[in-house]
Amino acid sequence: MNGFIAFMEKYFIPYAAKIGGQRHLVAIRDGFITTMPLMILGSFAVLINNFPIPAYQKFMNNLFGEGTWQAFGGNVWNGTFAILALLIAFTVAYNLAKSYDKDPLSSAVVSVATFFTIGAIAPGVDGIPNTGGLGSTGLFLALIIAILSTEIFTRLSGSPKLVINMPDGVPPAVSRSFAALFPAMITVSIFGLITAFFQAAGVTNLVISFYELVQEPFMGLANSLPAALLLAFVSAFLWFFGLHGANIIDPFMQTINIPAIEANVKALEAGKELPYIVNKPFFDSFVNLGGTGATIGLIIAIFIVARKHKAYMTVSKLSAAPGIFNINEPMMFGLPIVLNPIMFIPYILAPLVLVTVAYIATAIGWVPACTIVTPWTTPPIIGGALATQSIAGGVLAAVNLGLSILIFLPFAKIAQIQELRREKEALAAEGVTAE
Amino acid sequence: MKTIMLVCSAGMSTSLLVTKMEKAAEAQGIEAKIFAVAEAEAANHLDEIDVLLLGPQVRFLEGNMKKKLEPKGIPLAVINSVDYGMMKGDKVLEQALDLMK
Repeated sequence: MNGFIAFMEKYFIPYAAKIGGQRHLVAIRDGFITTMPLMILGSFAVLINNFPIPAYQKFMNNLFGEGTWQAFGGNVWNGTFAILALLIAFTVAYNLAKSYDKDPLSSAVVSVATFFTIGAIAPGVDGIPNTGGLGSTGLFLALIIAILSTEIFTRLSGSPKLVINMPDGVPPAVSRSFAALFPAMITVSIFGLITAFFQAAGVTNLVISFYELVQEPFMGLANSLPAALLLAFVSAFLWFFGLHGANIIDPFMQTINIPAIEANVKALEAGKELPYIVNKPFFDSFVNLGGTGATIGLIIAIFIVARKHKAYMTVSKLSAAPGIFNINEPMMFGLPIVLNPIMFIPYILAPLVLVTVAYIATAIGWVPACTIVTPWTTPPIIGGALATQSIAGGVLAAVNLGLSILIFLPFAKIAQIQELRREKEALAAEGVTAE
Repeated sequence: MKTIMLVCSAGMSTSLLVTKMEKAAEAQGIEAKIFAVAEAEAANHLDEIDVLLLGPQVRFLEGNMKKKLEPKGIPLAVINSVDYGMMKGDKVLEQALDLMK
């Protein structure tokens, strides 16, 4: 076990850490984080409009008139989910330019312009513009555009040949504003040309074509039990070595999360089956109970069977309050779980079991798929009920919590036995030296 | 007055530690401004701090941050992981003060 840990520390962890600090992935993650409050608001707008209790729908209809009270939710939707790709085109470019120490605002503006150049709003056949690209349909392409346009724009802005030299006496602020002129024009024009070539070749709506060709198959691939198991495994595995696993895989999680939620919401409104089981609220509500690795199960297991292990009890008491809000760093580094050979098996196993149970329960229809983006700090059980808008979701989270306790129980017990034995030996050794 | 910044992924667990460090500073009569931010925010505060401490789970930021802070002469370090886990405010405060010496 120690040999394995040493091997991983040397050959695997440095690479994982590199991914965690990779500038484009960091820009994507931070870009999504900026939009999170809006996505949570949009989710609650959906919740208000579709609350699955007939009496509530009837009450609202009687109070405000049928069909009118949903306007609030619809308006909020228009300002949140419906423009997600547009927001991402801005925020990701902003963060990426910032990491290069280049002008973030200009880069973000150029990225948005470029996104429209390639057809975020594509001219429709019947003259009605197609705005679908602004929402989650255009998300992947918006990400790609944000990265490409920023790479081009920030490089061009560094070139002295493209700066217009102003005569002396012109205020520096004015000449700075001209510095972005040519780089911006060139960047946007490049994509205007590329799009024109595609249009000449018969691809009139680049965003939709890209969606059908790349984004939809990718999302289908990500929406499977093996993919969910892989994501849960990678996150817990990295955390075991003391790296913030969730943080490192977040760029991938977020990219599949939001389009999946939006697709689920649309299906819900149309009264169809919810297509995407795997998404971020799925992990937050049913798997990461108390934090990555379902460590709240470990806290409870320690309270049940390891009360005599003084160090474990101290850390568990300290971790209980943050654990309710899914913050588990005190457990990870204080217990510690990180690099702890006893905890390796349950810490990796628990999330895999919880993913499997939650996936199957959703797939066979016992629990609805998630339609609400909840903050990751929402306490366990409440999170499950909120994300799925159902009591069944809360029950599933509670069942998973029970499972995580069962998985951790024997290992907490073993840890206590070892600790007590060590204490005894230490006492015996002291006795020997005293004689 | 010394300014100490803590950075972790979302600024959540470090903010727990900040409270403990403030208590330790008060008990020892040390005047210090201590705050925690998310990784994405860190770059906005580099000109106002005297020392930077990284949560052990984001230790991969060390190299990048060092490049930005060394020219300014601002020291940084990864928080000792056991002290971090046990939320030992006094030990982490001591680590920060040692770095500034």
